[in-house]
Amino acid sequence: MNSVNGILGWFQSVAKVWAREFRLVFGDMGVIIFFFLLPLGYPVIYTLIYNTEVIRNLPIAVVDHSRSPESRELARMIDATSALEVYDYCTDIPAARRLSNEKKVFGILEIPADYAKKIGRGEQTQVTYYADMSLLLRYRAALGALTDVQLSLGENIRGETIDNLGIIAQSLGGNSISNDAVFTGDPTQGFASFIIPGIIVLILQQSMVLGITMIAGGVSERRRRNRGYDPMSVEAPAGATILGKTLCYLVCYIPMTLYVLHIVPMMFSLPHVGDIWHSFTFILPLLLASAMLGQFIGVFVTERESSMLVVVFTSVVFLFLSGLTWPRYAMSPFWTLVSDAVPATWGVEGFIRINSNGATLAEESHPYTMLWVLTGVYFVAAYIMRRIGFGGKKAEAHSSVGKL
Amino acid sequence: MFKIFWQSISYGWRKLCSRKVYLVSCVVVPILFAVFFIDLMKEGLPLKVPVSVVDQDQSSLSRRVTRNLGASELIAVTHKDESYATALARLRKGETFGFFIIPHDFQKDAISGAGTTITYYSDLSVFVPGSLAYKGFKTAAVTTAGGVVQTTLVSTGINESVAGTLLQPVVIAEQGIGNPWMNYSIYLCNSFIPGVVSLMVMLMVCFTVCEEIKNGTSVEWLRESGGSMLCAVLGKLIPQAVVFSVIGVGLQAVMFTMAHFPMNCPAWHMVLAMILLVIGSQGLALALVCAIPNLRLSTSLASLTGILAFSIAAYSFPVQSMYGAIGIFSYILPPRYYFLIYADQALNGIPLYYSRWYYVALMIFPLAGLLGLNRLKKHCLNPVYVP
Repeated sequence: MNSVNGILGWFQSVAKVWAREFRLVFGDMGVIIFFFLLPLGYPVIYTLIYNTEVIRNLPIAVVDHSRSPESRELARMIDATSALEVYDYCTDIPAARRLSNEKKVFGILEIPADYAKKIGRGEQTQVTYYADMSLLLRYRAALGALTDVQLSLGENIRGETIDNLGIIAQSLGGNSISNDAVFTGDPTQGFASFIIPGIIVLILQQSMVLGITMIAGGVSERRRRNRGYDPMSVEAPAGATILGKTLCYLVCYIPMTLYVLHIVPMMFSLPHVGDIWHSFTFILPLLLASAMLGQFIGVFVTERESSMLVVVFTSVVFLFLSGLTWPRYAMSPFWTLVSDAVPATWGVEGFIRINSNGATLAEESHPYTMLWVLTGVYFVAAYIMRRIGFGGKKAEAHSSVGKL
Repeated sequence: MFKIFWQSISYGWRKLCSRKVYLVSCVVVPILFAVFFIDLMKEGLPLKVPVSVVDQDQSSLSRRVTRNLGASELIAVTHKDESYATALARLRKGETFGFFIIPHDFQKDAISGAGTTITYYSDLSVFVPGSLAYKGFKTAAVTTAGGVVQTTLVSTGINESVAGTLLQPVVIAEQGIGNPWMNYSIYLCNSFIPGVVSLMVMLMVCFTVCEEIKNGTSVEWLRESGGSMLCAVLGKLIPQAVVFSVIGVGLQAVMFTMAHFPMNCPAWHMVLAMILLVIGSQGLALALVCAIPNLRLSTSLASLTGILAFSIAAYSFPVQSMYGAIGIFSYILPPRYYFLIYADQALNGIPLYYSRWYYVALMIFPLAGLLGLNRLKKHCLNPVYVP
């Protein structure tokens, strides 16, 4: 009978913590900002920033030393690409560099004086494109456009020469091998379509961690003000406390997750081909792991705001650790290990594949398992910290001054 | 007057040394971040992208294509798959970032001239490896097609060198100025490390100023500065500016000397830009504090704008391509001007004349911050903490 009462009591204390945590969340404007306004606003702001997706009509200058119909045709072909636009013709390189220095153009195409002559003779001719490298996306756009122009121009010239030679082109099978490039995940090669699915997962983790550490800071502050006693505290065993808090955060994040993972991609027509139930099932352990991580970090926080000083910059670190920009296979073993320990790494990795490539949950079993492992690890870490009273009793002992 | 100013500075310095979290924010965070960034991307480019090949032909030609793919520095053929389905499943699992399909009867159709198509899939849900895989695939596909054409041309009696030229009559050679290796470390460290310095500067200003109000010590702070808000603010911010400038210039030294990033201008151009970035960020944060003298709100706001700055300051996606209504916000962010100065000076090495307005813009931020001091003073005299 006693043990039944004990179990019932344990569940009661979970419920008490849960209810108390709700009051804490909704009674604190700072937490509301992080839990609700941030996940609501950020995905929209980020998508608006990148929503033009690709670079169009990047202005370039043309220095045409050849001044022939052939060189003009080359310039026209480049002007006709969607990525590049001929802003102006310049007489020489210094003039073009002046335009470049004034940020009027972001690339210079130099056509040599013997361009037409060499084509006529059937020799190879080289045109040089000087690219501004301050943004690699600009370089990438120009590179793609110029490669296409080079290939189609080569094809035209080849066709003409072969005709002139009197060979029947068909017998040559001039283009007997064609090639077809397909892009998965982000068929338009757009920037928003690439980065937003990853960023929204990171937003879920970071907003939750920031909110939880702010709550933890609030607890320490109340304790300091009340001589080591927090009037909002509920007597509960460590495990029940963690579980109750986690349940509260989870409930808060269910609508936010639906919005972030489903409505945002729909609003902006971002890649969204995966099964939404696979996404949701996949993201559940991410939310749990983030909640546990937040509670673990929260133990070290003694003031509501100071956590922000240290936690905010980690968003950038976690973005890079997730492998979205710099892939994980190219990381050193040490950084791979660090990125393994961040829930968002696995969350981003699995979610973009489910969302953008249409992968199934079964195909993402590795990141999914890792998320559950991290949930377990951070639960145990938070549990131990709570049991040895790191966040509680010690903070009371040093209640006079709050230091991180 | 000078004595009061000195007293204010020493007050600010004592406060700055009083908490561990300040040391962490001013020194440890920027240094850790820089170490992380420089070390993470030290390879420059994530070469050898894992990809798979689906060879449905198994002919001598198709095997040659596979070998060509393997010889590329961009990609590494880690798997061979027997069908489209297995290759796609592998890509979805994240084991590869693309795959290359050589169709049935590839050799027969290529040589007889019946026509055949090589298809390659690149996973752009991860941009950089996807793009590299695409580039590697395309090169292999185009050279294969060219090789077949050349063989046929030569067999019809055309001189070999002419046939070679016919494959690529026009070559457009790309010269990346300042960063011909397309090195990601050079590209990203130079924008993100100063970005984090600026973020921490802003957070520290919001935090340390508003903390005085929160703890009710703002009256004492003002008294130490002889009742002058300007003096108080300067006393608080100058020690921080010195610490951050030393750290920022130190990080520049690491980037430009130890990591050998391109530096095509006299060093003082960049040193000045860093010092102005620190002061400019302080100015922006001070304006924020004057508008909202509440610890939590202003620190939150500084965090939110600081993080957004990494995107809006256009470190990866150009402002010119953003919506106009979004793009203009980049001009109220100090890191944007630092980035423009960096691109002009260190990367491209163009005359200082062209960057003059960026330096001026960074100098305007502190003035903007000083405009609201009266409002701040009122709040400092009646410190009310609203939790």
